[in-house]
Amino acid sequence: MSVRWRHYNRALHRDIGYFSVALIIIYGISGIAVNHVADWNPNYSKSCEIIETAPFEHDERDSVVAEAMRKLGLTEEPLNYFRADDETAQLFYRGTTYSIDLPTGAVLRESNPPRPVLYEMNQLHLNHVKGIWTYIADLFAVALIFLGVSGLFVLRGRLGLAGRGKWLLAAGTLLPLLYWVWYTAS
Amino acid sequence: MTKNLLTVAVLLLAGTLFVSAADKTSYGKPLTLKERTKISAILADPAKYDGKRLQVEGPIVGVCEKRGCWIMIAGDKEKQSLRFKVDDGVIVFPMEIKGQNAVAEGVLSVTTVSTETLIEQGQKHAKESGEAFDPASVTGPKTVIMLKGEGAVVAKK
Repeated sequence: MSVRWRHYNRALHRDIGYFSVALIIIYGISGIAVNHVADWNPNYSKSCEIIETAPFEHDERDSVVAEAMRKLGLTEEPLNYFRADDETAQLFYRGTTYSIDLPTGAVLRESNPPRPVLYEMNQLHLNHVKGIWTYIADLFAVALIFLGVSGLFVLRGRLGLAGRGKWLLAAGTLLPLLYWVWYTAS
Repeated sequence: MTKNLLTVAVLLLAGTLFVSAADKTSYGKPLTLKERTKISAILADPAKYDGKRLQVEGPIVGVCEKRGCWIMIAGDKEKQSLRFKVDDGVIVFPMEIKGQNAVAEGVLSVTTVSTETLIEQGQKHAKESGEAFDPASVTGPKTVIMLKGEGAVVAKK
Protein backbone atom coordinates (compact mmCIF):
# COMPACT_ATOMS: atom_id res chain seq x y z
CA MET A 1 0.00 0.00 0.00
CA SER A 2 2.78 2.38 1.05
CA VAL A 3 4.77 1.55 -2.07
CA ARG A 4 1.79 2.21 -4.35
CA TRP A 5 1.07 5.54 -2.65
CA ARG A 6 4.68 6.61 -3.07
CA HIS A 7 4.63 5.49 -6.68
CA TYR A 8 1.66 7.74 -7.51
CA ASN A 9 3.10 10.59 -5.45
CA ARG A 10 6.37 10.38 -7.36
CA ALA A 11 4.59 10.16 -10.73
CA LEU A 12 2.38 13.15 -9.99
CA HIS A 13 5.31 15.15 -8.60
CA ARG A 14 7.28 14.40 -11.78
CA ASP A 15 4.49 15.19 -14.27
CA ILE A 16 3.15 18.28 -12.52
CA GLY A 17 6.75 19.40 -12.19
CA TYR A 18 7.31 19.07 -15.94
CA PHE A 19 4.07 20.92 -16.61
CA SER A 20 4.95 23.74 -14.20
CA VAL A 21 8.53 24.43 -15.30
CA ALA A 22 7.67 27.27 -17.69
CA LEU A 23 5.38 28.94 -15.18
CA ILE A 24 7.92 28.57 -12.38
CA ILE A 25 10.55 30.25 -14.54
CA ILE A 26 8.13 33.06 -15.52
CA TYR A 27 7.05 33.68 -11.94
CA GLY A 28 10.61 33.39 -10.64
CA ILE A 29 12.17 35.81 -13.10
CA SER A 30 9.30 38.26 -12.77
CA GLY A 31 9.48 37.93 -8.99
CA ILE A 32 13.11 39.06 -8.99
CA ALA A 33 12.26 41.88 -11.41
CA VAL A 34 9.35 43.34 -9.43
CA ASN A 35 11.11 42.77 -6.11
CA HIS A 36 13.40 45.65 -7.04
CA VAL A 37 10.74 48.02 -8.30
CA ALA A 38 12.21 50.77 -6.09
CA ASP A 39 15.44 50.63 -8.10
CA TRP A 40 14.16 50.26 -11.63
CA ASN A 41 11.06 49.96 -13.76
CA PRO A 42 10.57 46.25 -14.43
CA ASN A 43 8.01 46.80 -17.19
CA TYR A 44 9.28 49.68 -19.28
CA SER A 45 12.59 51.09 -20.35
CA LYS A 46 12.89 54.83 -20.74
CA SER A 47 14.52 56.81 -23.45
CA CYS A 48 14.88 60.59 -23.28
CA GLU A 49 16.40 62.91 -25.84
CA ILE A 50 16.64 66.68 -25.89
CA ILE A 51 16.14 68.22 -29.29
CA GLU A 52 17.18 71.85 -29.60
CA THR A 53 15.04 73.96 -31.90
CA ALA A 54 14.52 77.69 -32.25
CA PRO A 55 12.16 79.38 -29.78
CA PHE A 56 8.55 78.84 -30.78
CA GLU A 57 6.93 81.73 -32.57
CA HIS A 58 3.37 80.72 -31.80
CA ASP A 59 1.33 80.17 -28.68
CA GLU A 60 -2.02 78.89 -29.92
CA ARG A 61 -2.66 75.16 -30.16
CA ASP A 62 -2.94 74.58 -33.91
CA SER A 63 0.01 76.81 -34.66
CA VAL A 64 2.18 75.18 -32.00
CA VAL A 65 1.33 71.73 -33.35
CA ALA A 66 2.10 72.78 -36.93
CA GLU A 67 5.37 74.44 -35.91
CA ALA A 68 6.42 71.43 -33.84
CA MET A 69 5.63 69.01 -36.64
CA ARG A 70 7.68 71.08 -39.07
CA LYS A 71 10.65 71.47 -36.72
CA LEU A 72 10.66 67.84 -35.58
CA GLY A 73 9.97 66.35 -38.98
CA LEU A 74 6.75 64.69 -37.83
CA THR A 75 4.35 63.69 -40.58
CA GLU A 76 1.35 62.60 -38.52
CA GLU A 77 -0.93 64.72 -36.36
CA PRO A 78 -0.49 63.96 -32.65
CA LEU A 79 -3.04 61.82 -30.82
CA ASN A 80 -3.48 64.63 -28.34
CA TYR A 81 -2.11 67.99 -27.31
CA PHE A 82 -1.78 69.35 -23.79
CA ARG A 83 -0.76 72.78 -22.66
CA ALA A 84 0.76 71.90 -19.29
CA ASP A 85 1.64 75.47 -18.29
CA ASP A 86 2.49 78.85 -19.79
CA GLU A 87 5.79 77.60 -21.16
CA THR A 88 5.18 73.92 -21.84
CA ALA A 89 3.17 72.21 -24.53
CA GLN A 90 3.02 68.45 -24.98
CA LEU A 91 2.34 66.42 -28.09
CA PHE A 92 1.34 62.82 -27.66
CA TYR A 93 2.12 60.18 -30.23
CA ARG A 94 1.75 56.43 -29.86
CA GLY A 95 4.53 55.50 -27.43
CA THR A 96 6.25 58.89 -27.58
CA THR A 97 5.67 62.23 -25.88
CA TYR A 98 7.21 65.53 -26.99
CA SER A 99 7.38 68.15 -24.24
CA ILE A 100 8.17 71.53 -25.74
CA ASP A 101 9.61 74.42 -23.82
CA LEU A 102 8.10 77.14 -25.98
CA PRO A 103 10.33 80.09 -25.01
CA THR A 104 13.58 78.21 -25.68
CA GLY A 105 12.44 75.71 -28.30
CA ALA A 106 14.00 72.81 -26.39
CA VAL A 107 12.01 69.63 -26.90
CA LEU A 108 12.16 66.59 -24.64
CA ARG A 109 11.39 63.45 -26.63
CA GLU A 110 10.39 60.72 -24.24
CA SER A 111 9.39 57.15 -24.91
CA ASN A 112 8.74 54.18 -22.65
CA PRO A 113 8.82 50.99 -24.69
CA PRO A 114 7.86 47.80 -22.84
CA ARG A 115 10.78 45.56 -21.92
CA PRO A 116 10.54 42.59 -24.28
CA VAL A 117 9.50 39.30 -22.64
CA LEU A 118 9.87 40.72 -19.11
CA TYR A 119 6.80 42.93 -19.60
CA GLU A 120 4.69 39.91 -20.58
CA MET A 121 6.10 37.86 -17.70
CA ASN A 122 5.21 40.60 -15.22
CA GLN A 123 1.71 40.94 -16.64
CA LEU A 124 1.12 37.24 -16.05
CA HIS A 125 2.91 37.02 -12.72
CA LEU A 126 1.07 40.01 -11.23
CA ASN A 127 -2.15 38.97 -12.94
CA HIS A 128 -2.66 42.29 -14.65
CA VAL A 129 -4.35 40.42 -17.48
CA LYS A 130 -7.09 39.27 -15.06
CA GLY A 131 -9.91 37.24 -16.67
CA ILE A 132 -9.34 33.52 -17.06
CA TRP A 133 -5.69 33.90 -16.06
CA THR A 134 -6.84 34.40 -12.47
CA TYR A 135 -8.00 30.78 -12.37
CA ILE A 136 -4.94 29.47 -14.21
CA ALA A 137 -2.75 31.27 -11.66
CA ASP A 138 -4.83 29.78 -8.82
CA LEU A 139 -4.31 26.30 -10.26
CA PHE A 140 -0.61 26.99 -10.58
CA ALA A 141 -0.48 28.06 -6.93
CA VAL A 142 -2.18 24.80 -5.94
CA ALA A 143 0.30 22.91 -8.14
CA LEU A 144 3.20 24.64 -6.38
CA ILE A 145 1.84 23.64 -2.99
CA PHE A 146 1.45 20.08 -4.23
CA LEU A 147 4.99 20.06 -5.60
CA GLY A 148 6.31 21.27 -2.27
CA VAL A 149 4.42 18.77 -0.16
CA SER A 150 4.77 15.79 -2.52
CA GLY A 151 8.47 16.54 -2.82
CA LEU A 152 8.85 15.73 0.87
CA PHE A 153 7.92 12.14 0.16
CA VAL A 154 9.76 11.42 -3.09
CA LEU A 155 12.82 9.93 -1.40
CA ARG A 156 13.08 7.61 1.53
CA GLY A 157 15.84 6.76 3.93
CA ARG A 158 18.98 8.80 4.60
CA LEU A 159 18.20 11.41 1.92
CA GLY A 160 14.45 11.47 2.63
CA LEU A 161 12.31 13.35 5.12
CA ALA A 162 13.35 11.08 7.94
CA GLY A 163 17.03 11.78 7.20
CA ARG A 164 18.59 15.06 6.14
CA GLY A 165 15.22 16.21 4.77
CA LYS A 166 13.84 17.06 8.21
CA TRP A 167 16.74 19.42 8.95
CA LEU A 168 16.42 21.23 5.65
CA LEU A 169 12.64 21.42 6.07
CA ALA A 170 13.11 22.93 9.53
CA ALA A 171 15.67 25.43 8.25
CA GLY A 172 13.39 26.49 5.39
CA THR A 173 10.46 26.90 7.77
CA LEU A 174 12.47 28.86 10.32
CA LEU A 175 13.82 31.30 7.73
CA PRO A 176 10.56 33.25 7.18
CA LEU A 177 9.51 32.86 10.82
CA LEU A 178 12.77 34.22 12.23
CA TYR A 179 12.89 36.99 9.67
CA TRP A 180 9.37 38.04 10.60
CA VAL A 181 10.22 38.06 14.31
CA TRP A 182 13.31 40.16 13.61
CA TYR A 183 11.36 42.46 11.24
CA THR A 184 8.57 43.16 13.73
CA ALA A 185 11.00 43.61 16.63
CA SER A 186 13.28 46.07 14.80
CA MET B 1 -7.34 12.86 -31.52
CA THR B 2 -6.71 13.78 -27.88
CA LYS B 3 -3.53 15.55 -28.92
CA ASN B 4 -5.42 17.60 -31.52
CA LEU B 5 -8.11 18.57 -29.03
CA LEU B 6 -5.45 19.65 -26.56
CA THR B 7 -3.77 21.79 -29.21
CA VAL B 8 -7.08 23.46 -30.10
CA ALA B 9 -7.83 24.10 -26.43
CA VAL B 10 -4.42 25.70 -25.88
CA LEU B 11 -4.80 27.91 -28.96
CA LEU B 12 -8.29 28.99 -27.91
CA LEU B 13 -7.00 29.82 -24.44
CA ALA B 14 -4.12 31.83 -25.85
CA GLY B 15 -6.52 33.67 -28.12
CA THR B 16 -8.81 34.52 -25.23
CA LEU B 17 -5.93 35.83 -23.17
CA PHE B 18 -4.01 37.89 -25.64
CA VAL B 19 -6.30 39.04 -28.45
CA SER B 20 -8.15 42.25 -27.84
CA ALA B 21 -9.30 44.21 -30.83
CA ALA B 22 -11.76 46.45 -29.00
CA ASP B 23 -11.64 50.21 -29.53
CA LYS B 24 -12.22 50.74 -25.85
CA THR B 25 -10.48 49.09 -22.94
CA SER B 26 -12.12 48.93 -19.54
CA TYR B 27 -10.06 49.00 -16.38
CA GLY B 28 -11.47 47.94 -13.02
CA LYS B 29 -15.13 48.22 -12.16
CA PRO B 30 -17.75 49.33 -14.70
CA LEU B 31 -18.68 53.00 -14.82
CA THR B 32 -22.03 53.75 -13.21
CA LEU B 33 -22.67 57.49 -13.45
CA LYS B 34 -24.58 58.93 -16.38
CA GLU B 35 -23.35 62.49 -16.05
CA ARG B 36 -19.82 63.78 -16.42
CA THR B 37 -18.33 66.67 -14.51
CA LYS B 38 -15.93 69.06 -16.17
CA ILE B 39 -12.47 69.10 -14.64
CA SER B 40 -12.48 72.89 -14.87
CA ALA B 41 -15.60 72.95 -12.67
CA ILE B 42 -13.97 70.64 -10.11
CA LEU B 43 -10.77 72.69 -9.96
CA ALA B 44 -12.73 75.94 -9.73
CA ASP B 45 -14.51 74.80 -6.58
CA PRO B 46 -13.02 71.56 -5.23
CA ALA B 47 -14.70 71.89 -1.83
CA LYS B 48 -18.09 71.64 -3.53
CA TYR B 49 -17.22 68.21 -4.92
CA ASP B 50 -15.09 66.86 -2.06
CA GLY B 51 -16.22 63.34 -1.18
CA LYS B 52 -18.61 63.10 -4.13
CA ARG B 53 -18.62 60.41 -6.76
CA LEU B 54 -17.78 61.94 -10.12
CA GLN B 55 -17.09 60.93 -13.69
CA VAL B 56 -14.59 62.92 -15.73
CA GLU B 57 -13.31 62.75 -19.27
CA GLY B 58 -10.18 63.89 -21.04
CA PRO B 59 -6.88 62.98 -22.68
CA ILE B 60 -4.39 61.00 -20.60
CA VAL B 61 -1.32 63.20 -20.25
CA GLY B 62 0.56 61.21 -17.64
CA VAL B 63 0.80 57.62 -16.38
CA CYS B 64 2.49 56.30 -13.24
CA GLU B 65 5.64 54.78 -14.71
CA LYS B 66 6.45 52.22 -12.05
CA ARG B 67 3.17 50.85 -10.81
CA GLY B 68 0.58 52.16 -13.26
CA CYS B 69 -1.41 53.29 -10.24
CA TRP B 70 -2.50 56.69 -11.53
CA ILE B 71 -3.20 58.59 -14.69
CA MET B 72 -3.27 62.32 -15.22
CA ILE B 73 -6.31 63.47 -17.15
CA ALA B 74 -6.18 66.82 -18.93
CA GLY B 75 -9.03 69.20 -18.26
CA ASP B 76 -11.37 70.86 -20.71
CA LYS B 77 -9.39 74.06 -20.23
CA GLU B 78 -5.69 74.51 -20.92
CA LYS B 79 -3.14 74.07 -18.13
CA GLN B 80 -5.52 72.00 -16.03
CA SER B 81 -5.35 68.33 -15.18
CA LEU B 82 -6.64 65.96 -12.53
CA ARG B 83 -4.95 62.89 -11.10
CA PHE B 84 -7.02 59.70 -11.14
CA LYS B 85 -5.53 57.44 -8.48
CA VAL B 86 -6.28 53.80 -7.88
CA ASP B 87 -5.08 51.49 -5.14
CA ASP B 88 -1.83 49.73 -6.09
CA GLY B 89 -2.50 46.58 -8.06
CA VAL B 90 -6.28 47.04 -8.30
CA ILE B 91 -5.86 48.61 -11.72
CA VAL B 92 -2.54 48.82 -13.53
CA PHE B 93 -2.56 51.40 -16.29
CA PRO B 94 -0.07 50.63 -19.07
CA MET B 95 2.18 53.41 -20.37
CA GLU B 96 0.81 52.86 -23.86
CA ILE B 97 -2.44 54.66 -23.02
CA LYS B 98 -0.67 58.01 -22.74
CA GLY B 99 -2.26 60.36 -25.25
CA GLN B 100 -5.52 58.41 -25.48
CA ASN B 101 -8.85 59.57 -24.08
CA ALA B 102 -10.16 58.35 -20.74
CA VAL B 103 -13.46 58.39 -18.95
CA ALA B 104 -12.82 57.77 -15.28
CA GLU B 105 -15.04 57.48 -12.25
CA GLY B 106 -14.24 57.84 -8.58
CA VAL B 107 -14.63 59.84 -5.42
CA LEU B 108 -13.02 63.26 -5.26
CA SER B 109 -10.51 63.75 -2.49
CA VAL B 110 -9.34 67.19 -1.42
CA THR B 111 -6.57 67.19 1.17
CA THR B 112 -4.05 69.67 2.45
CA VAL B 113 -0.50 68.33 2.63
CA SER B 114 1.77 69.98 5.18
CA THR B 115 5.12 71.53 4.25
CA GLU B 116 6.98 68.85 6.22
CA THR B 117 5.20 66.03 4.39
CA LEU B 118 5.83 67.67 1.03
CA ILE B 119 9.55 67.90 1.77
CA GLU B 120 9.58 64.30 2.95
CA GLN B 121 7.80 63.15 -0.22
CA GLY B 122 10.09 65.24 -2.40
CA GLN B 123 13.18 63.75 -0.80
CA LYS B 124 11.81 60.23 -1.16
CA HIS B 125 10.92 60.82 -4.81
CA ALA B 126 14.35 62.35 -5.46
CA LYS B 127 16.03 59.34 -3.91
CA GLU B 128 13.97 56.92 -6.00
CA SER B 129 14.20 58.79 -9.27
CA GLY B 130 17.73 60.11 -8.91
CA GLU B 131 16.47 63.63 -9.60
CA ALA B 132 17.58 66.67 -7.66
CA PHE B 133 15.29 68.11 -5.01
CA ASP B 134 15.64 71.40 -3.19
CA PRO B 135 13.57 71.53 0.03
CA ALA B 136 13.54 75.31 -0.33
CA SER B 137 11.33 74.84 -3.40
CA VAL B 138 8.51 73.89 -1.02
CA THR B 139 7.10 77.20 0.10
CA GLY B 140 4.08 76.04 2.08
CA PRO B 141 1.24 73.54 2.43
CA LYS B 142 -0.39 72.31 -0.76
CA THR B 143 -3.94 71.34 -1.56
CA VAL B 144 -4.02 68.02 -3.37
CA ILE B 145 -7.08 67.25 -5.45
CA MET B 146 -7.46 63.78 -6.88
CA LEU B 147 -10.12 61.41 -8.01
CA LYS B 148 -9.81 58.15 -6.12
CA GLY B 149 -11.14 55.66 -8.55
CA GLU B 150 -12.17 52.13 -9.17
CA GLY B 151 -12.95 52.13 -12.87
CA ALA B 152 -12.02 53.76 -16.16
CA VAL B 153 -12.57 53.29 -19.85
CA VAL B 154 -9.83 54.25 -22.28
CA ALA B 155 -10.68 54.83 -25.91
CA LYS B 156 -7.99 53.96 -28.44
CA LYS B 157 -7.18 56.78 -30.86
